[in-house]
Amino acid sequence: MENFIKKITKDVDLSFAILLSFCVYVFFAINIEVFFSHNISFAILERFAVLGLVGLALTICIIAGEIDLSIGSNAALCAVIVVKLTDPLGAPLAMLIGLSVSTLIGVTQGFVIAFIRIRAIVITVGTLMLLRGVALLIAEEKTVMLTDFRVPDFITTKVLMYFSPASLTVIFIFICVGIFMRYTKYGREIYAIGGARKEALTAGIPLRRPMIIAFALSGFCAGFAGTVIGLKSGTAQGLGLQYLLLAGTVAAFVGGVSILGGKGGVLGAAIGALTVNFLNTGLVFYALQVHFVQLFTSVLLVIVIVFQTMSRVFDSRQARKGLLATIDERKTSLLEKKRSALGR
Amino acid sequence: MSAIIENNQLPFSAKFLQFYKDRTLLAILLSLFAVMFIYGIFFTENYLTITNFKAIIRDAALYGIMAIGLTFVTLSGNFFLLSLKETASICGVTFAMGMATGFGSPDLAGNFLVSLLAALAVGVVSGVIQGYFVGMGGNPIVVTLGGAGILYGIGAWWSDNLVINFTRPHDAEWLGTGSFLGLPSITWSFILIAIAAEIVLRHTNFGRKVYLVGANKAAGKATGHENFSMAIIVFTICSVCCAFVAVAFVAQMDSAQSNYFSAEFGSSGDMTILVIATVMVGGNSIMGGYGSTLRTSLGAIFIAMVDNMMVLQGFNSGPRIVGVGLMIVFSIIVFGLFAKGSRAQE
Repeated sequence: MENFIKKITKDVDLSFAILLSFCVYVFFAINIEVFFSHNISFAILERFAVLGLVGLALTICIIAGEIDLSIGSNAALCAVIVVKLTDPLGAPLAMLIGLSVSTLIGVTQGFVIAFIRIRAIVITVGTLMLLRGVALLIAEEKTVMLTDFRVPDFITTKVLMYFSPASLTVIFIFICVGIFMRYTKYGREIYAIGGARKEALTAGIPLRRPMIIAFALSGFCAGFAGTVIGLKSGTAQGLGLQYLLLAGTVAAFVGGVSILGGKGGVLGAAIGALTVNFLNTGLVFYALQVHFVQLFTSVLLVIVIVFQTMSRVFDSRQARKGLLATIDERKTSLLEKKRSALGR
Repeated sequence: MSAIIENNQLPFSAKFLQFYKDRTLLAILLSLFAVMFIYGIFFTENYLTITNFKAIIRDAALYGIMAIGLTFVTLSGNFFLLSLKETASICGVTFAMGMATGFGSPDLAGNFLVSLLAALAVGVVSGVIQGYFVGMGGNPIVVTLGGAGILYGIGAWWSDNLVINFTRPHDAEWLGTGSFLGLPSITWSFILIAIAAEIVLRHTNFGRKVYLVGANKAAGKATGHENFSMAIIVFTICSVCCAFVAVAFVAQMDSAQSNYFSAEFGSSGDMTILVIATVMVGGNSIMGGYGSTLRTSLGAIFIAMVDNMMVLQGFNSGPRIVGVGLMIVFSIIVFGLFAKGSRAQE
């Protein structure tokens, strides 16, 4: 426990994330009477099932030093596939097919990025459009709907007061990915290629394996988020779900990843996603229009970016000051030596 | 010095190869053009008509102008903006507000010049603010993603998410629907802006600085051209281009809404992604320092050509987006393979 507290206070970004999420929660808890209740907690965890996954997907990509812009399209494609196949094949098989398609897309992206050594932002802009087109094509430019809306009820039944099967699965995924990233060789490789790619490659880490794993995980998470959204609402659109990119990015950055890569973790992603959820759930009570939610989410992102940039500038300034101080110290001792030598 | 001598002593074949390699990417683009063109002539009806070519260039003009603005950002090594369509939408709302209500004072209502200046001013302000954050060391993608949400939110809040109309005989008609010597005004502006951008990049001090900072940030900093001022200037140029496109589009539609440029714009989905794709299809290096606005213009015309052909063949929006998306991914991979091993991908 002591170690844990030490670790959190040492990491400035993570402690800022915890502070920020606490502030947002307390703000709404004070202003809205029902906010601090069982039902709202259940609702927040329900939203966490979607946003947390997207935040996790982007966190993994950013840790690897890349960013996956095609996450919304991937989720939309998976949602369309799952909703479309649930009627003929049943929910479990449809979910399996949708998730494997999303993961395969992630694997392909990771392979292309590592093989051509291209930046992920470049290729994922292309796949954003391509996947959206494919989703439209599969949905035949219509909104796909379930015929029997009772089929996906199993993912929204309440378990243990706060949880539903969806949120329980997501928490399970979080724990698994956390252990994977922290304690296995493959997970550490993702950190290595993100934090110091040249050094990692020189040290003999292959670029291809961690990149493929990172993008496969990201594709899987995006697909799972799409599946949950699609099954929960019973409908899916080819052009939908583009807001996930903004929400996921905010979650990842509030959680303390650095755009330079190699920093951040699953715990941060969870806290970031929860913060965004507090904000979204709280804003529901004010009955605001959709664009206000987007506005406030973006403001949250800008606050975090400003904080991160400022802390980076501050750090480098401190480091430079320290360097100058040590140089001065050495200089003064040398000057004294010289003076004493001359005086003698 | 020794490198130059060595280059002179190279055999002719090697020189030829060097020459060819420098121009390979342009050659690929032009041959793709040719293939598409010939395919279009033989397999598409009504393709080889002057009206259709005018339509293609007119389509290309809208996102071509934005893409030319974005090329400055990409060349200077600041990746790209994800807030293009939001900038355009808030500028469009500003322009329509000016045309419809004159920002509260009835004498100014319908005054083209004031509305245009207001729209451009909004573009400048949003560009300067985003450029400031990027210049301070923020990542362009993340900063403009946040900026996009804020700009859209403000635009929607200001216009109350309603369609703002202004009636037909207005001062901006010449820009929206008028034409000059048989070509629409927007096409003329595209041509003029493309030429101006090319001249600025090739033959002015500022243009060379853009290439320098993009090619090597450290060298730029050492010679006194920091990315801070550069980021602000290029972001402003890009935002002003967006504002101009928005004004032309709104003048054509006689109305504006905050989500005019959002999903399902035209036929190929998202305006922002389309513009970024235009820059990439032209083969500009995303890491900066390599490329030109000529490539971007060709890319815009190419995308418009493919899209136009698929429209004439009677495809729905799904296959069309798949077609354009495939083309983008293909060109990115081809250009990536050609640039493999060069400095451009560090």
